[in-house]
Amino acid sequence: MAKTQSTPVEKAARLLDLVPFISTHQGIALSQLAEEFNLSESELLSDLNTLWMCGLPGYTPLELIDLEFESGYVSIRNAEVLQRVRLLTKQELVIILLGLDILRSSLDPKREDLQAAISGLTKRIKEIVGNVATASPIVDSVHRAIIVQAIASRMDLTVKYHSTIRDTVTERVITPLELSLDLGFEVLNAYCRSAEGFRTFRLDNMESVELAGSSVSIPEPSDLADYQWQLLIKSRFRTSSERFRSSYKPRESSAGEQVTVNSFSQDWLLRNAVSTLASVEVQLPVSARSLIAEKCQQTLELYENWAFPN
Amino acid sequence: MHTVSRKTERLVNLTIALLATKRYITKSEIFRTVDGYEGSEDSKERMFERDKDDLRNLGIEIEVGTFDPLFEDESGYRIKPENYQFQLGEVNAQEITLLSLAAEAWRGASMGQSALSALNKLHAIGIESDTELLLDLAPAIVNQDANLAFAISAITSKTVLSFSYLNEELQPQSRVLEPFAVTSRYGHWYIFGNDLDRKANRLFRLDRVSGELKLQGKSGAFEIPADLDVNSAFANSSGISSAVIFLRDGRGLNLRSRGEQIVTTTAPVGWQEFRIEFRDRERFIEEILWYGNDVLVSEPADLRVEILSQLRAGVATYG
Repeated sequence: MAKTQSTPVEKAARLLDLVPFISTHQGIALSQLAEEFNLSESELLSDLNTLWMCGLPGYTPLELIDLEFESGYVSIRNAEVLQRVRLLTKQELVIILLGLDILRSSLDPKREDLQAAISGLTKRIKEIVGNVATASPIVDSVHRAIIVQAIASRMDLTVKYHSTIRDTVTERVITPLELSLDLGFEVLNAYCRSAEGFRTFRLDNMESVELAGSSVSIPEPSDLADYQWQLLIKSRFRTSSERFRSSYKPRESSAGEQVTVNSFSQDWLLRNAVSTLASVEVQLPVSARSLIAEKCQQTLELYENWAFPN
Repeated sequence: MHTVSRKTERLVNLTIALLATKRYITKSEIFRTVDGYEGSEDSKERMFERDKDDLRNLGIEIEVGTFDPLFEDESGYRIKPENYQFQLGEVNAQEITLLSLAAEAWRGASMGQSALSALNKLHAIGIESDTELLLDLAPAIVNQDANLAFAISAITSKTVLSFSYLNEELQPQSRVLEPFAVTSRYGHWYIFGNDLDRKANRLFRLDRVSGELKLQGKSGAFEIPADLDVNSAFANSSGISSAVIFLRDGRGLNLRSRGEQIVTTTAPVGWQEFRIEFRDRERFIEEILWYGNDVLVSEPADLRVEILSQLRAGVATYG
């Protein structure tokens, strides 16, 4: 495990936390203790050797912390002063507060006991740090738990998926491959048996997730057909870039910005282009321009021919 | 390596000494009895000052007091056990499980280190978690933006932040903010606070910050309002307008779930009529156009006119 060296202060903090942990887990295996603190065994041994030199003023065997770990199992004595579990820092409390918020929204509503427990904990934490953090999760953590379980046990999933590109909800059987991040959104890369191809599913667009049968083999991934469009952004630079998921940077001039965007979905590009008619012009390919013209014409006819009720 | 562990030892020994004492102990007592304070008086002083700051940054408050209020020069130090120990009081197995799951949610995200140390403390309490609960839930906060961790520490230390923020034209604007709160909405993280230049509360999306957040000035520089309500920041950003739209059967799913269906006889077969609220007019037009000829705005008239003119311009540009 490649990790940066702890600073002396981080190491001191860890030692203060090791003492109460070992006190309540007397005889814990070195390997298990290292795992709990995310350390290698040699890092843990270095920590324990340092701790062994600490104690009350006087620093005779009577005052020093007494550690035993040569057997491969760790026990501690004479550490009463440090035995209390250290307080959570405000930073830690804030991240727990956010985590509780996320947890609350994915609990089974019938578990009123859990809802009440979360409210109680949230209240206690807010009394200490104030109402400084809230989170509205967009992914159901029950869905995530099932997906994680399916990947680990090589199971297929039946998902009800809301595709914003197709503007439909469909039920599909997929073989989940891995969870990853796409511009801040959590996505599942999977082989879709219904579409017979590799697809990326946004977790927040899954309406239900259930385990299906065991996975059977899936084909080798082939290169996805990729559409590449060239755009000229003329105004609303930030919104337009975010819409086309194009990275952006600070701009000096007020001139238009030429960008190239890629997607496996031509429909997605087309919808974005019609959406941003006022601020973006698609320059290439020419075939894309005729698709947009056609879509504009159809929509325009709808507006012009409609008998409005006013 | 040696100096690293000397410093670590000294911090732990100082903590033990200050925790064990029932009375305030003076600096000279500390230098005489606590292992690790060496060198000239000056260098011991400097060491001690740094150590106090380091412990404070770990959340360990060192109290300063006097033995005798008549002699101010005899100030001493101690750590009160009640200020050192786990402060959420008695917790049961269920609560420990929920707190652990909440911290677990940050595994691998930008705050992994704080999450780990919180978990170590929670597990040190020595109450076994409720494993049945652990299996069914996998909350995760996927943020990788280092600025979020930075924003949270600026809030908890009440330190002013300065940063460069990209506006709609992608021009960087410098902002100076008293940060009050962080919140996540629609998959994005926001920081909310008092914008010192604009003298008003403002909301910023973290991924639109160009470069890094920077701390400015000292900690404890401001107070966070006691009646803080971050949700109101989203509500007050602009007024609510309302539109009437027609949706083709089974289409415009997002609009359907946000809107309210109007039962009328005016909608032709295959279409439904909805009333829907929106805040940002330009965004709403973009959203309507996304659905092409599956969605039609009927009211208000000015919105319909705007969409018509964009479509005509589109036909002219691309046709």
